[in-house]
Amino acid sequence: MTGLVDGSCYGFQPVSDLAFEYLRGGGGEALAVAEEQEATGENGDGVLVTEWTPIPGRRLWARLYADGSGYRLWVEGYGSFAVDPHAPSVRLPAGAASAVRREERLWGIPAMLCFVARGDLPLHAAAVDVGGEAVLLAAPGYFGKTTLAAGFDVAGHRVLSEDVSCIRFLPEPSVVPGPAMLRVREDVADHLVLPRAEAVASSDNRVHFSLDPDRRGDSTAVPLRAVVLLRGADDEITLDRVPAAEALRDLWPLSFRLPTHADRERCFHGIAQLAASVRLWNLRRPMRLDELGRVVERIVADA
Amino acid sequence: MHVEPSTRLVKDENVAFRRLAQGEGGVLLHLESGQYHGINEVGCLVWELLDGKRTVSELVAVVRETTVNAPADVADQVIPFLESLRERGLVR
Repeated sequence: MTGLVDGSCYGFQPVSDLAFEYLRGGGGEALAVAEEQEATGENGDGVLVTEWTPIPGRRLWARLYADGSGYRLWVEGYGSFAVDPHAPSVRLPAGAASAVRREERLWGIPAMLCFVARGDLPLHAAAVDVGGEAVLLAAPGYFGKTTLAAGFDVAGHRVLSEDVSCIRFLPEPSVVPGPAMLRVREDVADHLVLPRAEAVASSDNRVHFSLDPDRRGDSTAVPLRAVVLLRGADDEITLDRVPAAEALRDLWPLSFRLPTHADRERCFHGIAQLAASVRLWNLRRPMRLDELGRVVERIVADA
Repeated sequence: MHVEPSTRLVKDENVAFRRLAQGEGGVLLHLESGQYHGINEVGCLVWELLDGKRTVSELVAVVRETTVNAPADVADQVIPFLESLRERGLVR
C-alpha cells in the first residue's frame, strides 16, 4: 500500500510501498518512490545529457538522458531509473537483487537530481555533526572520506553523509543529512569496530553499515562550520587554512553538475558561495587506523 | 592582444563571476572551457566596470578614483590585466 513512509533523507520523505533501511527521523518534502513493473533496459529515447564511463572496480557505466520534464538514468547492471525532479518522483528498476543496494542507488544520482531542482548543492564529501555544526570532509574517492567519517562515528559524533552531501543556503550554508549509512572498506571494517552501526550488506570490497536509529537524528539542515579538504598522507597531523580561491580549485571537481552552461553556472555560484562563507582547511594526516582518533580530535578542536 | 586606451571591452557572455569573502578577491569561470581564474580586489572592480561602453582610459580613471591609496601606475597594472583577460577569452 503506497503511503508516506515514516522517515526522511536529504529532506525528502518517501511516499512508497517499498522498504527503506537508511532513513532518518522526521519528515520532509514528499518524494514518490516506486519500482517499475518490469525490467527496463537502456531505452535510447531522450537526449543524452552526460555519461559516466567505468573505472575498474570503482565506478559503473551510466548514462543520463533528458526525457520530457525529467531524466532517465541508465546504470549498467541495474537498469533505468526515471527521475522527475520537479514532481519530485523516482521510479526504480524492477527486480533489484537487494533492497538495500536499490535504496543506495536511489540516494545517489536520482536524489541529487531532485535536490538540485530544489535549489540545493550536491558535493562529493562526507559530513559529520560536531556539537550541532556540520564539518564537510571533502575529497575524491579513495582519499579516506568514509574511514574518517567512521572515525567520527566511533568518537560519538553523528554522521550526516558518507559520500554525497546536500548543501543548502539559508542563506548561510548548511548540510541536509543524507542516508544513515557508512560503506567502509573491507580492510578497514576488519579492524575498526563501529559499535553503533549494523552491517547490512557487502559488495564492491566494502561493508555497508546502517547507523543505529537512535543515532541518526532527522534531516533538519545543520549549519556548516568548516570544509576540510583531505590531502595525502603525512607523518604528522597538519590542519592549514586555505584561501577561498585556492579551495575552489579543489571543490569544483567535487561538485555535481550537468554539462550545460546553466548548470555549470549554478554549480559555480554555489561552490563560490560555499568557499566564501566558511572556514576552509587542508588536512594531512597519517593514514593509519591507530591514528584515526587523534585525527578526529584535531578536527573537532581546530577546524 | 594589445589593449589601447581607446579600446572598449565587454565581458564574454560565457563567463560567470563571483566575489569571494571580503579581501579575498573573486573568481571567473569560463563556462565553455571550464577554466577559472582567481582575481584580486582591484581585478573584481575592473571586472564590474567592464560594460562595453567605457574606454580603457575611462575605466582606469574610475579605478584610480575609487581605489583607496591607488598607486600612480594604475594603468600599468590594469592594462596588462585586461590583456590577460582578452588572451583567455574572458573579454572581447
